[in-house]
Amino acid sequence: MSQALIQASGRLFNALSRHHELIMQVYLNGQVDETQSSTKVLEQLIQLGILWRPDAHSPLRLKSAVRNLLESSLQDERNRTIDANIGAALASLKTLVGHYKEAMHYNRYSEAQSHMSTLTEHVYQLTESLGNSVRIMFSRINNEFGYVVSVDAKIRENELAQSQVSDLLQQLECFQFDQLSELAGSQRELRHLLVVALQQSFSRAAQELSVAQARLLDLLGRFREFKGRTRLLKGFLLHCEHHPDFTVNEYPALSQVPTLFNQAAAMLNPAAADVNYVHHEADYHQMATQLTHLGNRPKAETSETVNNELEVTEQSTVALIKGEIQHAVECYFCEVIDSGQACSALDYYQHQNFDFDAEVWIYQVIGGYQALDETDKLFFALDTQGQAHTTFTGNYYIHDVTLGLR
Amino acid sequence: MMNEAGRVLSLLLEGKFICQVTDEEAWRYLKRRDNVQTLEPHLALLNRSLATTADGEVFFCAYTTLGDAERKVLQQQFQDIASNLIPLVEWLMLIQQASESDIPLTIGGALRLSELQSVIEDTPAYAEQLEKISRYRLFNSTSVNLDGQLKQVFKRLTDLGYLHKPNSEKQIYLATGKIEHLYEIIRFIDETESLSLAEQADAAISQGNLL
Repeated sequence: MSQALIQASGRLFNALSRHHELIMQVYLNGQVDETQSSTKVLEQLIQLGILWRPDAHSPLRLKSAVRNLLESSLQDERNRTIDANIGAALASLKTLVGHYKEAMHYNRYSEAQSHMSTLTEHVYQLTESLGNSVRIMFSRINNEFGYVVSVDAKIRENELAQSQVSDLLQQLECFQFDQLSELAGSQRELRHLLVVALQQSFSRAAQELSVAQARLLDLLGRFREFKGRTRLLKGFLLHCEHHPDFTVNEYPALSQVPTLFNQAAAMLNPAAADVNYVHHEADYHQMATQLTHLGNRPKAETSETVNNELEVTEQSTVALIKGEIQHAVECYFCEVIDSGQACSALDYYQHQNFDFDAEVWIYQVIGGYQALDETDKLFFALDTQGQAHTTFTGNYYIHDVTLGLR
Repeated sequence: MMNEAGRVLSLLLEGKFICQVTDEEAWRYLKRRDNVQTLEPHLALLNRSLATTADGEVFFCAYTTLGDAERKVLQQQFQDIASNLIPLVEWLMLIQQASESDIPLTIGGALRLSELQSVIEDTPAYAEQLEKISRYRLFNSTSVNLDGQLKQVFKRLTDLGYLHKPNSEKQIYLATGKIEHLYEIIRFIDETESLSLAEQADAAISQGNLL
């Protein structure tokens, strides 16, 4: 920022020194002879705020700030006026008009010309300073007093600006155009300066000031509102801190519910498709073709089945549990081996007091013997005791078996 | 195709708050007296009427007569509002303090997420405050970093209609009329329960000055 300013000031001072002859000429003559200088230079000087054109038909003039600077630096007290207020400026205008008229009356034209240029200078200075004050006011309003941070400071700035606006408005009341027009009389140049130029700037300033005043009041209201809101929020938090058990009254339970708390529930839901409505058939068709999840449906089902996990656990061995009776048969075989003597199955049966059927036992013993390996079978001998059927041949009844070692 | 009246009517029936920020066209529509007159019969049919808040700048739909069912809805709503007041107010204060202008958030106020984030990151007190706020059930953030907390808070507020995001690609949020409604509620509570909140705040500020 400061770098930019320094650069800009460099340009300004360069322009001042490069065109100092022109500027001094303007300072002394009051206006620029535009035919003698290049338009480019003039444009540049206007841009830098050294020259300005009060209105479209008047020649270029020196800015009052530059003029003030030159006056004070060159200690030229000739043209200095105290721009304290509009009243004083108007009074000096009246005096100058008096000088001018007197000179004209005595036909001292060169003197009259010099008075005229001073008068012109004063009039334009007055209009310029009016315009400037209004512009400053507006620039302050437009950024909402952005140059101060706190809302309180903004309110103070606003109050200052308001007092300045009312001061300016009061000073504007000093313009009495009936007197000025009387003063100007029938002189065309005087009328142009005192009536037309001043009135234009007066009406513009008055209009802008009234707008500014309205804006200022508006802004002040807003700042107060901001302060009120901030205090409201802070106060609420403080209150909740101080009263942790604070609960808001239940307003919807009141017979008259305040509008603030009377907010109707949402009730609109999306409409459904009417497949019988012929006009929509094409649209429905379109939508149906765009349905992507329809094709995915079988996939979804398979994925569901995948979810049913196959429990892969250690398979329980299928134990061929030998029945009690089989076990008894083995024991019987072992008994025969241990004792080394033949033993009748029924004897063993009675000896062990088995609780299953004797016939089953004998069957099992025979079965046990038959189930042995061929090599094992060779160690044992199974002898059956029984009798043939009395009537039919080929039938043999076994009463008992005897197992022995070979 | 629905005309403007139908569109505004459905917005109202969806329980939306209509303000200049959220839907300027609908808001302009409702600002005109004769338009409101065309809508009123439709609303009346559904036991509803057009209500305004914040000096007529925000429109919403209210019940005309209150039966048991309506009261139940309102009570539920009120419970939500009452329990959300503190988180919302704390958030508003944080936003106000973190924004450079120290101006309270009002309707149309713009919040730039990146700016806020850098201010909050640079100020540990704000970061702590944000963490506290984001843990409230209203915002329900579980994020441990500031970025996530801030985004969650703003997302919830946008969902609830307090903020509006005009451009989905830019992290700029505008305060809606619902914020004004919130201020109205606090003001109402302050007045009806005569809490004199502003005086409490002033007293606290002057005490702070003395210290």
